[in-house]
Amino acid sequence: MIAIGLEGSANKLGVGIISHPSPGKPAQVLSNVRHTFNAPPGEGFLPKDTAKHHRSWFIQLVKQAMREAGVKIGDIDCVCYTKGPGMGAPLQSVAVGARMLSLLWGKELVGVNHCVGHIEMGREITGAENPVVLYVSGGNTQVIAYAEQRYRIFGEALDIAVGNCLDRFARTLEISNDPAPGYNIEQLAKSGKVLLDLPYAVKGMDCSFAGILSSIDLLAAELKANPEWKDPLTGEAITTADLCFSLQETIYAMLVEITERAMAHVGSNQVLIVGGVGCNERLQEMMGLMARDRGGSVFATDERFCIDNGIMIAEAGLKAFETGFRTPLEESTCTQRFRTDEVFVKWRN
Amino acid sequence: MTTQVQDPDFPCSLVIDLPLPTSRLASAASQALRVDKELSPLVRRSFYTLPAAVSNPAEDATLVHTSEETILRTEYKATTNRMLRVAVNGFMESLSVVLGVMEELDIDVLGVDSGKE
Repeated sequence: MIAIGLEGSANKLGVGIISHPSPGKPAQVLSNVRHTFNAPPGEGFLPKDTAKHHRSWFIQLVKQAMREAGVKIGDIDCVCYTKGPGMGAPLQSVAVGARMLSLLWGKELVGVNHCVGHIEMGREITGAENPVVLYVSGGNTQVIAYAEQRYRIFGEALDIAVGNCLDRFARTLEISNDPAPGYNIEQLAKSGKVLLDLPYAVKGMDCSFAGILSSIDLLAAELKANPEWKDPLTGEAITTADLCFSLQETIYAMLVEITERAMAHVGSNQVLIVGGVGCNERLQEMMGLMARDRGGSVFATDERFCIDNGIMIAEAGLKAFETGFRTPLEESTCTQRFRTDEVFVKWRN
Repeated sequence: MTTQVQDPDFPCSLVIDLPLPTSRLASAASQALRVDKELSPLVRRSFYTLPAAVSNPAEDATLVHTSEETILRTEYKATTNRMLRVAVNGFMESLSVVLGVMEELDIDVLGVDSGKE
């Protein structure tokens, strides 16, 4: 079976076409194209502009995906789209296109949970059997474990997502949002050495980033007011690289802690990191150190799959479609809030 | 040409008639656009598909199918002109996606069969 998947819950519009050649065989990525809307430095992407971007790229990306996959409409079995969670206007702009494809092509619709899309693509690509999943992105931060046909949320960010903390700090520093603000913070952090004092906000299985963002913003303001600021211990000059370094070390240590707590609770030693922040090599490194201490391992995918994309929607959608799941046209709405555990994972036992 | 009755609660109204080539397209547009509810309670909206009026009788013997509902009629009414404008602008933006898919992604453009066995 073959599915087309359409994703636009944040600032990335992705179209992917996946093939499930036969049960038990691995899925094949036939095409996976994406275009990102970047706001200028110092700004974030707003719903109205993001939706406008998605509308203007929709046709082109669908055409390109079909062409690269070498498929025709008759080869496709269903049209999958992101039902939520995410930003309202961007979600809706893609859903309208998905409905039109469904109606004109005569194919059924499958509404997909964005988080489940990340998880299913991560599982498919890495082959991880039953890992604890750390889903970290600009919009979501959840620690998830599978049990009895639901992806259960063991811990999550209580206020803002870890990626949102990074994105907003990038705005404070006014660094480029291209290709992604978190990526540029990561590069800056590589030349950071001084670990500045920041709050460490793990609360049981959950974590909090809003206070850390306020603190790092204050430090950035201090540095701007006093460029000669030196670390009292070493006498080294403090730079924005040190701010980025301190932020990453702190927030990633928090994520490693709550992931480890879930692993202990569930009795798993595998970690699968999904979501845009999962591209971060320092996070992967820190998680790897923890996992190896527990005799386990970390699974992660590259930017094709960890950053929002259409193929993950096609993958999760096709899995659901194969169990008989359909989204009737009248129910093909979008919703900004859609909990990961609301999805009945019929395709797993 | 509207024969709408004025609604005192929603005094600002607008009717948009969009002629399309076929009733299949008009029906698809109507179904795709009606799914999302209007965000504001100050705005009401309805979709209809209507047959095209026969303005030019055919000169040859070909039958003109007047029962084909090829016009998408969208009726908006709102409490203020500002709400009406905002809602209609949103509709136009969604319409651009609908028309784009019709024009460039339909079965006659992309092709249904791959031509391989």
